Amino acid sequence: MEVIIYVSLVFLLIFCVMAVMSHSILKSAVYLALASVMLGVIMYVLGAHWAAVFEISVCSGLVTVIFISAISLSKIKHDEIQKLYEHKKRSAYLPAVLIIGGVLIAAAAMAADFTLPEAAAAISEEFRETLWNTRQADILGQIIAILAGGMAVVVLFQNDEVKK
Amino acid sequence: MEILNFRTIMLFLGLLMIITGCYCLIRTYHMLKIIIGIEIGMKAVTMFLVLAGYINGHMGLAQAYVITVIVLEVVITLVAAGVTIGLYKKYGDMDIRNLTKLKG
Amino acid sequence: MDYLQYAAESFVLLPLAAIALNNICPKKFMEDHFHILPAAVSVLQMAAAVFALCFMDVRHLTAYDFSVLWNVSVPGAEFFSIHPVSIIFLFCIGLVSFVSVMIAIRTVDTKKRSYVSLLMTLLISMNCMVLVNDLFSLYVFMDVIGVSSFVMIAMFQSRKGLEGSIKYLVISELASIFIISGLAFIFMKTGSLSFKDVGSALLSDPSDSRTLLIYAALILIIAGFSIKTGAVPFHSWLPDAHQSADTSISVLLSGIVIKIAGVYGFVVLTTLFNGVRAIHVSLAVIGIITIITGALLALQQNHFKRIVAYSSVSQMGYILLGLSTGSTLGLIGAIAHVFSHAVFKSTLFTNAAAIHEQTGTLEIDEMGGLERKMPVTSFSSVIAFLSTAGIPPFAGFWSKLLIIMALWLSGNQVLAGFALCASIFTAAYFLRLQRKVFFGPTPDHLSSVTEIKGSIRFVEILLTVITSASGILFPLILIFLQSKGLV
Repeated sequence: MEVIIYVSLVFLLIFCVMAVMSHSILKSAVYLALASVMLGVIMYVLGAHWAAVFEISVCSGLVTVIFISAISLSKIKHDEIQKLYEHKKRSAYLPAVLIIGGVLIAAAAMAADFTLPEAAAAISEEFRETLWNTRQADILGQIIAILAGGMAVVVLFQNDEVKK
Repeated sequence: MEILNFRTIMLFLGLLMIITGCYCLIRTYHMLKIIIGIEIGMKAVTMFLVLAGYINGHMGLAQAYVITVIVLEVVITLVAAGVTIGLYKKYGDMDIRNLTKLKG
Repeated sequence: MDYLQYAAESFVLLPLAAIALNNICPKKFMEDHFHILPAAVSVLQMAAAVFALCFMDVRHLTAYDFSVLWNVSVPGAEFFSIHPVSIIFLFCIGLVSFVSVMIAIRTVDTKKRSYVSLLMTLLISMNCMVLVNDLFSLYVFMDVIGVSSFVMIAMFQSRKGLEGSIKYLVISELASIFIISGLAFIFMKTGSLSFKDVGSALLSDPSDSRTLLIYAALILIIAGFSIKTGAVPFHSWLPDAHQSADTSISVLLSGIVIKIAGVYGFVVLTTLFNGVRAIHVSLAVIGIITIITGALLALQQNHFKRIVAYSSVSQMGYILLGLSTGSTLGLIGAIAHVFSHAVFKSTLFTNAAAIHEQTGTLEIDEMGGLERKMPVTSFSSVIAFLSTAGIPPFAGFWSKLLIIMALWLSGNQVLAGFALCASIFTAAYFLRLQRKVFFGPTPDHLSSVTEIKGSIRFVEILLTVITSASGILFPLILIFLQSKGLV
């Protein structure tokens, strides 16, 4: 189990860094989808089965579809993006920032002798009961968020009828 | 080393992912990359929640939290994409350096 | 006939019913009469807040738990609860929404039905945020407030509106990521995030290495809520977002959203973690820097709404100073300042709407001598300015007095002195604004300007009356609180 987690974590970080550093926005969206899959694998191995399914189907499915439709609505051709950013060499700042930040955090953690404890005995609570019986206010919040998102789509994607 | 178990490494990598997301938000020139930065930050948060659920045993509650965060993440991505498309229609391209009308 | 339950449930059910009604009725009818529904909801909310306070006082309750659409008797079910603190916030929400609708009658010309639906979404998420009992639900509703306000700023598709919306979106989502990371770290130690399980007891075990996580969580949560409040050094989104939105939405943002999304989070944090000295010190530092920087930056601006937005930044510093004392008097002073700031900030934005409607510009260099042309507007603006600067007998004087007294009594005499001297800066930028806009010679292109009529004039008069009345009647409130043993 630990091997799968370590491999998935390494790939997750690599895909995230490549999504940020890539010059083509389409490739960034694809790397983000792959990072979601890796995160879904980690969550499944840790025991969160429902959350893993949700993450893979929504984040690497729905969000990527939204991205690609936004990219296609902006109608810049694929090779024009490359021409816009070709003159910028790939900046090496992000790996440098990550390595410096990582070293600082690791030094602080070792100085403070920091470790996370073992997994406690799993309290057998069923996820569906927890969600529907104890988190009703969150469900109300989700419904209102989806309402607001629906109205956002109506308002923001509408062509202006009134000519200025 | 005794402190190097996979939970601590997961916490460490989550913090690195948040740093990556913040870097992306600050240094990018393309408006849609801002959304990618926000998404990477939210994925780190999802990982923290699942790790917390694994450590203290309340995996059902952690999954309820994760699903709520994923729904909010989708709504935010939708709104951000909508505002970005509106800006594209006004300016013609997705460059963030066009946004100079409001001085800081 | 449990009236208290009806009053309490109306905070959640009324906006939902309004959304349903708004989208079901035929479009032409709603667009012509779009102001009736949200105005009715806001007025009913203010009435329900007052009634709930009276009922709770009659029954000698300090908190009332209820649930709205689900069965609360299932063990572990979540519930909403009202206390006097949240009732004052609910009243302010109703008041500022009413002002926003009255301004929107004149300034909103298109997309009226969407405006009403989005306003109701904002209203219900703000109501639920002050009613919940759980830190994670607090985060969920705060995010929904954020989503609603991004859409409302960008709704009218102007270049400035879209730009302000995307700047606000980026920085607000960064704050949300910080806050939920902090909550996840707290969740690593305890098993749940409800208010009764989170407290200072989390920090009491220094040998457990997770205590370091709780300190990191507190830093992240304070940073996140400071960004949402617009405290310095995270204030850069606030003037852009508040200037570029339509005035009816700027009123909402500056009058109530930064307080519910930011200040209420700090109220919860200081109530749950009371006694932690690090939180008090950091809040005091952030507060005093915010007051001074906001006031100094407001002196250099030339756009009416931008000066008012920087003034909001500066007043948030006073509220944070009041919360940093950790005493009950500081909390009461902070909440009184929330109320008085909501009233005078709404007055100032109403004046901005009036000036924009009548003269077409908001750059103060192009204005002058409007006092002769628009007497009602200039009178209400002068009253709002006197209340901001803390001059008796208006409401702002009492709230600032309570905050400074709380600072003095808790031992921070230096901070109390600084806060008192910073009132001079407040007076300075507002005097400059008044002199340039209302007094002085009238330029030629403004010689045919007349006073604004209709709903905006009504709101200006109403808000002026509320500022003066609450200032004059404030000693009665102090006597009432003293009888309860709180002051």
